[in-house]
Amino acid sequence: MADRLFAGALLIVAIAYTYIAFAILKAPFQYDPLGPESWPQILGCVAIPCILYVLWRPDVASFDLEMPTWARVGALFVLLMAYAWVFQPLGFILSTLIFCFLLSLMLGAKPLKAGLFGIVTGVAGYFVCTRLLELNLPAGKLFVGLL
Amino acid sequence: MDAVFSGLASGFATALDPFNLMLVLVGCFAGTLIGALPGIGPINGVAILLPIAYGLGFKPESAIILLAGIYYGAEYGGRISSILLNVPGDAGAVMTTLDGNPMARKGEAGKALSLSAVASFVGGTFAVILMTLFGPLLAAYAVTFSPSDYVALMVFAFASLASLVGSNPVKTLLGAVIGLMLASIGIDANTGVARYTFGIPDILAGIDFLVVVIGLFGMAELIHLVEQQARGTLKTLEIDKSFVTMADLARTKWTILRSSCIGFFIGILPGTGASVASAVAYGTEKRVQNNPKSFGEGDIRGLAAPEAANNAAAGGAMVPMLTLGIPGSGTTAILLGALLLFNVTPGPLMFQQRPEIAWGLIASMYIGNIALLVINLPLVGLFARLLTIPQQYLTPLIAVLAFIGVYSIVSNPHDLYMITLLGLFGWIMRKLGFSLAPVILGFVLGSLFENNLRRALSISAGDWTILLQSWNSIVLYVLTAIVVIVPIWYGRRVAARNARSEDESPKAPA
Amino acid sequence: MRLRLFASTLIAATVFAGVAMAQDIERPECIAPAQPGGGFDLTCRIAQKGLEGVIANPIQVTFMPGGIGAVAINLFNTTRTDDPNAIVAFSSGSLLNMATGKYGEWNEDDVRFTATAGTDYGAVIVRADSEYKTLADLMAALKQDVGSVVLGAGGSVGSQDWMKAALLVRAENLDPRQMRYVAFDGGGDAMSGLLGGSIQVYTGDVGEMISQLDAGTVRILAVMSKERLPEPFADIPTTAELGYPDAEWAILRGYYMGKNVSDEAYNAWVDAFKQAYGTEKWQETVKAQGLQVYSVAGEEFNQEILGRVDRMRQIAKEAGLIQE
Repeated sequence: MADRLFAGALLIVAIAYTYIAFAILKAPFQYDPLGPESWPQILGCVAIPCILYVLWRPDVASFDLEMPTWARVGALFVLLMAYAWVFQPLGFILSTLIFCFLLSLMLGAKPLKAGLFGIVTGVAGYFVCTRLLELNLPAGKLFVGLL
Repeated sequence: MDAVFSGLASGFATALDPFNLMLVLVGCFAGTLIGALPGIGPINGVAILLPIAYGLGFKPESAIILLAGIYYGAEYGGRISSILLNVPGDAGAVMTTLDGNPMARKGEAGKALSLSAVASFVGGTFAVILMTLFGPLLAAYAVTFSPSDYVALMVFAFASLASLVGSNPVKTLLGAVIGLMLASIGIDANTGVARYTFGIPDILAGIDFLVVVIGLFGMAELIHLVEQQARGTLKTLEIDKSFVTMADLARTKWTILRSSCIGFFIGILPGTGASVASAVAYGTEKRVQNNPKSFGEGDIRGLAAPEAANNAAAGGAMVPMLTLGIPGSGTTAILLGALLLFNVTPGPLMFQQRPEIAWGLIASMYIGNIALLVINLPLVGLFARLLTIPQQYLTPLIAVLAFIGVYSIVSNPHDLYMITLLGLFGWIMRKLGFSLAPVILGFVLGSLFENNLRRALSISAGDWTILLQSWNSIVLYVLTAIVVIVPIWYGRRVAARNARSEDESPKAPA
Repeated sequence: MRLRLFASTLIAATVFAGVAMAQDIERPECIAPAQPGGGFDLTCRIAQKGLEGVIANPIQVTFMPGGIGAVAINLFNTTRTDDPNAIVAFSSGSLLNMATGKYGEWNEDDVRFTATAGTDYGAVIVRADSEYKTLADLMAALKQDVGSVVLGAGGSVGSQDWMKAALLVRAENLDPRQMRYVAFDGGGDAMSGLLGGSIQVYTGDVGEMISQLDAGTVRILAVMSKERLPEPFADIPTTAELGYPDAEWAILRGYYMGKNVSDEAYNAWVDAFKQAYGTEKWQETVKAQGLQVYSVAGEEFNQEILGRVDRMRQIAKEAGLIQE
């Protein structure tokens, strides 16, 4: 079932991909006989039979995950997306601090330790990366004046 | 030849100057650290530290020596997070995860790190020696490699990688096609037409290789860790004190040598670099071994091959840059820029006009390789300890490192979403029994294949026979045939022998 | 140190004079909208080094790869439209993208062009042992059969590398669509292609040819400019003097800022550049990167660019790159 779900989703993407390759991609003019469309056309024509085969003969029945595990993975995904979302506006220090605190808490750390871990990672990470390694990390709008 | 040796001697005199020697060491050390960050490889390491080297007001040869140290160090450092965290440190270190990480999980992190350091050393030194002896000759050959020859090289690469087929061949093929499709996103390199970009500026030039690697490998690994942790099947590893032994080296010596040759050859070609080199070396190695079954499960040969190859390729890429002034890779383009910044013009005349820089740089590569081995071996224990960090802290750290790596390179939050989504996609694929390596390889090789094929056809104005018109191509096609046929033939023979002795079930070659 | 002192005295002087002054830019940043190592990197390095001492704080270089510069222009039209600290490197290639609509809804009216870094010129390059001894040989061959010569360069159709080849062919009243053109992945690969014999003519840039010229591996048939360049290119004829004035291509490198920056912030950068242009150090920095000195800044520069983009749009239309 899991295989079929995934393959079904892929099939839709692959059909759209192939349709675009045949119907839309075109160069005003080109110097090679293949043009921008041939290669995607070939790829689409290989992908679709492969996907159909997986639909016909799936070999993985289920994800084999308990509900709590699903919840954990879902929470992790949300955390990561949120981290990406606040990374620039909040700045590296604050966003990392919050992210590390929440994730380590979720993974079973004690609140105090998780908080300490978040602070150390955020602050030390920022200064090691920006000052020692000269990497470019967002300071965040709050800290622009301070750092 | 005399000129080479006297040049090299003067080069060593420059490089062994105490100040320069210190710079090599500092560069190698800083490079290792930067390279160990997931995603930040030699290109960015050198680019980031270039202004510092310039700002300190060193003499040109000193600054270049420092930068070369960083370049080499980053190439070394890339393997560390591949092995320990299953997150490739840079493009050239993707294949290192395949056997390096299983070794670490078996409790042999120390052995994996030390063996790969030795393999890197041999690969790197091999490249420098060849460069010293035959530099100009090799460069003159490298430029004769035409687009149609690259097509042949890609055919060879695909054939040798067919050995990666997992339990379900259709899924492997589908994985590779997904990689190829991902690579087709962005502006077409021949006609300038945008493909599958849907007006999104961030993917107009295609999806960065780094984003795909960190997403599919790094973030998928992260989700996998959390999943295991939720099930309670994840344990923090014990400190392991394993180390490479003479027996390991004896077992891998031919692997390392073969892979160094492959890596160096692919490295000197402008347009292909460490990622292609390590992939081809790994695939070839798996093909030529009699017993490739343990590849992918922590085989030391599967670790030594890509590491020797990617360091040999890093050295090889310097050949066209130094001798012709043509940068063969992103990193050498930056080194070229750095040389220009110091009013040194690389190219055929550099060895006459500025011998102290040309030879000093080459000598510093010898020293850098040795320095890296000396720095890295004692640090193995320290790095291996990383794995003993409790899981609830290590997992968030992986995410933070991946975010740092991606953001500091693209300065754009868009790619942070991309790696997260690709991570989810990669995790689902892993759950469903897809192997991710074919996806990455499809991504790397696909555009090289398509672009060079179309380049070749525009040269010939549509005449397909151009593909078979040079000796380079013909030799590569013959090699392709050998790589495909020999394992089948060999497998038959083994099967026949097994049947005769009524041994266990015959092993069919992949 | 002395330079900085000099600069601050100069700043003080302008303050007293009551003119718009080059006040300190707080966190000066130059954005190179590409991976490290390319032309944009170089453009930012020129600002970084050339403005040292003119601006008190060092300029930080940030790389923003993605979408041939589209990501950067997008950012400066959505979130950082009034950022007073940042300049973004651009080249003629970026202008061409604006002209042909590659940047989607954003074009040359959505940024404020601030200053130049320098300029480079297109060059028609063949291998030293090529049968084409002069530009006239090459043009004659093209005229006889436009498909008989394999041209190549480091960019796709519609890029400025292609544009140079197209202009050359057009100068002989031939159709660029009929020529044989090979798009390589960057100038380095195209140069290998030329040396290795895959292509016969490389339409590259003069600046990157210094090392090859001394070594005698290639021959530059013509520089695609109006006037002769200074040493070491003084001996090379220009397309204009050889009778193809239309086959001229200057690769301009410079900086733009967001559309909504205050005049104060814009002028601060413009004045900083104008001050730097006069110094020996600026000129040396530009030359060291293989560029020709070309110094214009401010409103005047903005106007010049708008004119250039119009011309490019015209050419692109004629070549069939823009369909209406």
